[in-house]
Amino acid sequence: MYPFKFNPIIKVIGILLVIESLFMLTCIPFSIYYGGADLVPIMISAGITLLAGMVLRAAGNKYDPQDIGRREGFLVVSLTWIVISFFGALPFYISGAIPSFTDAYFETMSGFSTTGASILRDIEIVPKGLLFWRSMTHWIGGMGIIVLSIAILPFLGFGGMSLFFAEVPGPEKEKLHPRIAATARSLWGIYALFTAIMIILLLLGGMNLFEAMCHAFGALSSGGFSPKNTSLANYSPYVQYVAIIFMFLAGTNFALHYLMLKGRIRKALSGMEFRAYLLIILIPALVITISLFFERGYRLEHAFRGALFNVVSIVTCTGFANEDYMLWPRYAWFLIFLLMFAGGMAGSTSGGIKTVRHVLLFKNVSIALKRLRHKSAVIPVRLDNKPVSAEIIHNVLAIFFLYILTFGIGSLILTATGLDTISSVGAVASCLGGIGPGLETTGPVANYAHLHFIAKWTLSFVMLLGRLELFTLFIIFHPAFWKR
Amino acid sequence: MSGFTTTGASVFTDIEAIPKGILFWRSLTHWIGGMGIIVLSLAVLPILGIGGMQLFVAEVPGITPDKLHPRITQTAKRLWGIYVLLTVVLTALLMFGGMNLFDALCHSFGTMATGGFSTKNDSVAGFSPYIQYVIILFMFLAGTNFTLHYFGLKGHFKKVWANEEFRNYTFLILVSSMIIMAALFFTVGLPAEKSFRDALFQVVSIVTTTGFVSSDYLIWPFFAWFMIFLLMFTGGCAGSTGGGIKMVRIMLLFKNSLLELKRLIHPQAIIPVRLNRKSVPQNIIFNVLAFFLIYIIIFAFGSLAMSFLGLEFESAVGATAACIGNIGPGLGIVGPVMNYGLVPDIGKWLLSLLMLLGRLELFTVLILFSPAFWRR
Repeated sequence: MYPFKFNPIIKVIGILLVIESLFMLTCIPFSIYYGGADLVPIMISAGITLLAGMVLRAAGNKYDPQDIGRREGFLVVSLTWIVISFFGALPFYISGAIPSFTDAYFETMSGFSTTGASILRDIEIVPKGLLFWRSMTHWIGGMGIIVLSIAILPFLGFGGMSLFFAEVPGPEKEKLHPRIAATARSLWGIYALFTAIMIILLLLGGMNLFEAMCHAFGALSSGGFSPKNTSLANYSPYVQYVAIIFMFLAGTNFALHYLMLKGRIRKALSGMEFRAYLLIILIPALVITISLFFERGYRLEHAFRGALFNVVSIVTCTGFANEDYMLWPRYAWFLIFLLMFAGGMAGSTSGGIKTVRHVLLFKNVSIALKRLRHKSAVIPVRLDNKPVSAEIIHNVLAIFFLYILTFGIGSLILTATGLDTISSVGAVASCLGGIGPGLETTGPVANYAHLHFIAKWTLSFVMLLGRLELFTLFIIFHPAFWKR
Repeated sequence: MSGFTTTGASVFTDIEAIPKGILFWRSLTHWIGGMGIIVLSLAVLPILGIGGMQLFVAEVPGITPDKLHPRITQTAKRLWGIYVLLTVVLTALLMFGGMNLFDALCHSFGTMATGGFSTKNDSVAGFSPYIQYVIILFMFLAGTNFTLHYFGLKGHFKKVWANEEFRNYTFLILVSSMIIMAALFFTVGLPAEKSFRDALFQVVSIVTTTGFVSSDYLIWPFFAWFMIFLLMFTGGCAGSTGGGIKMVRIMLLFKNSLLELKRLIHPQAIIPVRLNRKSVPQNIIFNVLAFFLIYIIIFAFGSLAMSFLGLEFESAVGATAACIGNIGPGLGIVGPVMNYGLVPDIGKWLLSLLMLLGRLELFTVLILFSPAFWRR
C-alpha cells in the first residue's frame, strides 16, 4: 500500500498531544490568579487534547523505533505542527476570546512556528491564562525547533544541516534514536537556563512575573508575542537592552552556547557563521542609527537603541517591537524588509534563510566567478577551512530558489485577496521567515486581523513552510512520496 | 544605454516634442542593440560558458563551443536575415494599419529588439486594436528563440513545437493573460475584448521584456499589477532579443526543485534534470542556480540603493526589476505612464549599470570586477 508505516506516526503524535495537554495545565495558576475567567475553557481544551492523545497513543500501539525511517520522519514532522496547532487553538476558540476558528488557528500556528504574527486587535483584554498559553506555544515551538534542527533534519539528510552540527556530540546520520535524546536534553537545558535568567533579569527591571515569563518565552523562542498592545515600547531602556541580548542569544546556534558553557570560548567565537551573524546585525544597526540620528533628530542613545532593537528583532526573526519602523525613512524600513530574508544562525530557534546559507551563497558567487576565469580549476567552497561538498551547495541554492518562489507566489495570493502590495509582500516575507510584523497594514503597530480568511490560511501555511525549511513540507505533496 | 540594451526606459517627459531625427536614432539604437544581442547570446556567451547558455544553442547549425571564429559570421548572418525580414514584414503590416513610415519603422525597431521606445507619449495606447494585435504578435516572435524561427522558416514546425522552452513560454503568456483578463473583466468591468487585448498586450510586453504600453497597469487591481511585476523576472526565450532571467532557466529551476524533492525521497538515486528529453549536466544546473542567486542579489541591493536615493518602495523595486530585466516601465513613479525623469542622477547611472548587467547576463560584467580577472 503506502511505502511507510502509519502506526509509529500516530503513536508519536499521540504522545506529543499528551505532553501538550500537560503544558496547557501550566496556564492554570495564572488563570486563577487573574480572576479565572478562562479557567474552564483551558481545562476543557486540556481534557480534549489529553483524550485525543491517549486515543492516538493506544491506536498506534505496536510501536517499534526501527519503524521510523525517512518518510515517516517527514510526515511526523509536518503533521506534528499541523495537529498540535489544531489542539492548541482550542483554548482561544472555546473561550470565545478569538471567535473565528481561522483566526484561532492562525494565532496558534503563529505561536508554535515561533512567528509571532497576531490577529488580536486588543491583546490586553484577553484573559491572562490564555495570554500565557499564547506565549507558551512559542516556548514549546522553540523546543520543537531545537530538536528539529539538531536531530531530525540532519537525519533526513537535508539542506546541508548535517554539516553544522558535526561538532555537537550527538546524532549520527544513520541512527536517529540513540543519542538524540541526550543532545536534545543538553540543549533544552541551555534553553531553559537562558529563559530562567531572562525572567530574573526582567523581574529586576520591574516587570511582574506574568509579563516577565511571557516576554522571556517570546524572546528565547524568537517568537515575538507580547502580552502588551505596544509590545516592548513602553518598557524601560533596561528591559529593552535585556531583550536585545536574549534575542541575540536565541538567534545563535545552540551548539555554540554548549561549547561556551563547556569553556571552549575561542572555538565558539571563531566560526565563520557567527562572525557573519554579528556583521549582519551590526552594519544595518549602525546605518539605521546614523539615519535616525541625523534625519529624525533622535537622541543618540535612543537612535542606537531603536535601530539595534529592531534589527536584532528582525534578523533573529523574533518580531518584538519597540517603535514603529514604518515611520522611519524609507530606505531604513526597506533595509528592515531585506533583513527579513536573513534569519539567524542554523541551530537556533530563529527562522529565515539562515546566516550559514547566506555565507555559503556569497562564497559560491565569488567562486563561480573564479571558475569562469579558470575553467578547469576545481575550487571548492570552504567554510571554517573545511571544504563543503558540491551537493550541499546545490541544496542551499535550491532552497534559496524555492524560498524566493514561495515568497513570490504567496505575495501574489495575498494581493489576489485584495490586500495592497506592500502589506502583502511584508506579510509573506515576515511569515515565511517566522518574524511577525510585516509592512504597512501588517506592520509593527498593526496586526493581521483585517486580512481575508484565505490570506490567513495562506499565511498559516507559509509560516509552517518556513518553519520546516520548505522541503520537509513540500516533499509530502510530491507524488513520489506516496509511491514505492 | 537604455536604447542599446533594448530596455526602453525613458527619461523624456514629452517625447513628441523631440525632433524626429533624434527619435529615429533613439529607436535605431534599439534595433542595433537587438542585432548585438543575437550574436552575443548565440555565439559569444556559449563560448564563455556563461549561465549554461552553451546548452541552448547546441542545435543551431554552425556553432561548436570550441571554435568561435570559423562559422560565427555565417550563423549571425542567417539570424540577422530573419531579424531584418521580420522587421520589414512588421513595418509593412503597421503601414497597412494606417501608420506613417516613420512611426511604423520606429515601432518595428522597438518591437523586434524587445526594446520598447515609442514615438508617442502614450506609447501604443493611441493606436487602433489592429495595430496593437500586430505588435502583440511580433513582440511574441521577438521573444522566441531565433533559431526556432530558422526552423520554422525551413518548415520544421514539429521541431519548433517539440521545444519545451517554447511551449512553456506560450503557456506562461496564455495563462497569465487569462488570469489578468478575468481580473479586468470581473473587477474593473472592462468589455471582454478590451480586457483580453490589454491583458495580453501587457503580459506579452513584459514577458518579452519589450515594455510597450497599451494601458496603465498601475490602475489595475493590486493583484494584476503584482502579477505583472513578477512576470518582469521571467523574460523571453534564450536566444531571443528578450532580457530577464529567461524562460529556459526558470524551467530548469523548477525542474530541479521537483527533482530535489525526489532526491530526498530516494537519497541513493541519481536523477538528472531533463530538457527536451536530454539530460542536463549537473554543472549547467549549478550555473543556472548561481545565476538566479546573483540576479536576486543584484535586484535586492539595487532596490536598496534606489531607496537610499529617496525613491519609495514600489518605485525603487519596480525601477530595478524593470532595468535589470531590460523591460522599461516599472512601478510607482517610473510606471507605464511615467518616465525615469524624476530619478536622481546617481540613480540613473546606477540603473544604466543594471541594464548593462542584465543585458550581458550578469557574469560577463561581474567578472570584470573580480580580482582574479585582472591578475596574471
